[in-house]
Amino acid sequence: MRATDRVLDAIDVETFVACSTEQEAKRIVLELVAGMGLGGADVVFIEMAGPGARVRARAYVHRAGDRYGWLGR
Amino acid sequence: MVGEVTWMGKKILLAPLDPVHDIGLKMINRALIERGHETVLLQPDLSPEEIVREIASSGCEFVLVGRTLGYGVAEILARVADLADAAGVRRKVKMIVGGMAIRPEIAAEMGYDAGFGPGTPVEEVVAYVEGRPYSDQALTVKRTKPDLIGAHTYRFENARIEGLLGRISGEVVSWCGGMTSPGVERARIRRRMFEASRSGDESGVAALIESYVRLCDPAVGASYDGRSVAKTRQITVAEKAALAAHIEEVGPRKKPRPVRHGKDRPVVFIQYGTGCPIMDVAHIEVAESWGADGVVHFDPSWAARKEGMFHGELAHEEDGSLITAGNLDLIRSGVMDSTLWQVRAHRGLNTAETVVLAGECGASLTKINMAYGSLGAGTDPERLVVDGVEAIKQAVSYGLPFDVVTNEELCGVPAQKAFASMLIVASMAIRLGGKPILQPLFCYSPQVMIEGQMKDNYVDFNAAKIMALRSIMDAPIWPGAPIGFLTHTEDRVQASMTTALHSCLASSLGVDAISISSADEAYSGGPISAAARVDTLRAVREGFRFFGEASIQPTRKAEAWAVELAEGITGVLEQVERRGSFVGALYDGILGTREDGAYPGRSGRGTVRKANN
Repeated sequence: MRATDRVLDAIDVETFVACSTEQEAKRIVLELVAGMGLGGADVVFIEMAGPGARVRARAYVHRAGDRYGWLGR
Repeated sequence: MVGEVTWMGKKILLAPLDPVHDIGLKMINRALIERGHETVLLQPDLSPEEIVREIASSGCEFVLVGRTLGYGVAEILARVADLADAAGVRRKVKMIVGGMAIRPEIAAEMGYDAGFGPGTPVEEVVAYVEGRPYSDQALTVKRTKPDLIGAHTYRFENARIEGLLGRISGEVVSWCGGMTSPGVERARIRRRMFEASRSGDESGVAALIESYVRLCDPAVGASYDGRSVAKTRQITVAEKAALAAHIEEVGPRKKPRPVRHGKDRPVVFIQYGTGCPIMDVAHIEVAESWGADGVVHFDPSWAARKEGMFHGELAHEEDGSLITAGNLDLIRSGVMDSTLWQVRAHRGLNTAETVVLAGECGASLTKINMAYGSLGAGTDPERLVVDGVEAIKQAVSYGLPFDVVTNEELCGVPAQKAFASMLIVASMAIRLGGKPILQPLFCYSPQVMIEGQMKDNYVDFNAAKIMALRSIMDAPIWPGAPIGFLTHTEDRVQASMTTALHSCLASSLGVDAISISSADEAYSGGPISAAARVDTLRAVREGFRFFGEASIQPTRKAEAWAVELAEGITGVLEQVERRGSFVGALYDGILGTREDGAYPGRSGRGTVRKANN
């Protein structure tokens, strides 16, 4: 069983990206999440000010109706 | 003495390793003294050498070292342990370390007997010293299912409004008595199906299904022949078995910690409807474990516009879990007995039948409001009024209280019109023996955005709504749905914060219940996550802890707006009475015009006919 099988639904990655535009922050955080092996990520929240962006990205491991890895483990 | 547990009091030295932070040790010290132990609490800011000298000279059995500051924690803890070893006292005493900077693994690595990290209850440390197992039962309470109706009398405080409502609701109930619809007939057939099934009459059930399917949309009817339903898949037998095993495994571990702080109101509801009953159960388990008192089932809006209810245990690809008897049974199996479970029946062509399913499947509550469903959710007013009255009668027969939601405010209908509708439906319910719960919205509605009632704060206008309703009648009040609607952003901190603040306002106003969102309320890119539910419940708990018995004080504007609102409601009810027909008032815009954002729905139009009584 992989660790992600035990994730009930989603994995959020939160951080502060040093950057100059919101677009740049978005690109960086999605690259970061993809680098973790998580596909289909989306930016849930982003706020750019001064030195960079507060950002939260999300990848769903289990969506409703999937075969859930945590069920019947 | 047989059956009495005794212990010899221990001698314990408590040593704060920080310059000033010794509050945790003081609390533990006090608890140990109360339990009859002999303690010595050293002053803060002693060096490791001084502490070890005290250990050696005190003859203690336990040393509790406290450390809050994170810097140099490993070095200083190791130094104390090494010095104790060198002085020959390490083998004579049990050494424990605790505090904000401590993790159990650090303690073990440094050679301590035990380590207690942040959030450890004092009682847990005391239990360790006394050599007894620690139970966190004190943190949980035995839950009982809350009674939302409580001592409310449904007595009117406003005679003018009472008179108007009496005449209006009398007209509606009387008119509906002579009418029927496919929805009314299906509800009655569905009820007979349950009765036939209980008595083992299989051929009776089959005949009833045949009659039922004739009254359904073809796509719905097909599901009774085992044909697949678009955007859904059937839950497998193996999945159902796995869910049952999962529920059995998780059940004993669910020890809900109350969200409220010393109060029994407001009862806190969350809303679920992931699309899949298995995922719904998982989310309900999370919500219950983090203290939610109740859960509200959300179904997809498209299903409410089809005649008939689907068959089977179905997982839906998108938001909203289909209401089928099979799905409700699966979900019910995962809901704690002490949890209030609401199945909503407020807006579509299956209103009356949904109440039957809710009643048969063990729901605690339902939701009915013909005005919202017909002005804001696409169902024909005449059809929904006829079905809604049948739904109320079914709710009464199952003993199901229901809230009367006012979501048409979100379409732009001003509060006084939405409240007039809500009170008409509540009055019908009272006339028919029901137990309605008033559900004003705590929301940043289009009305207040345009008129500016919330330009300064979110407190006054929401408070005015509650004050106005209380000036009219004594009924349970359950703001929703969810509270703070349209004040949330995608930021989980802001979203949790605004929910917590609205919860505290609701608590200050002494309402009976609230529906809260998750921290994902404003995120439209995917389903609500379980973590988002936890974030909001934790924020609400913190808010309730912060205020306790204290309260939020609205300004004088709230009182003035409450009076205005009550007068506005009276004016709307007078217009409805003059119109002589509640259904006519819905079509004519008296309870919300097209300019307001209310559009009489078309779904089910022309399907009402005279009943053959």
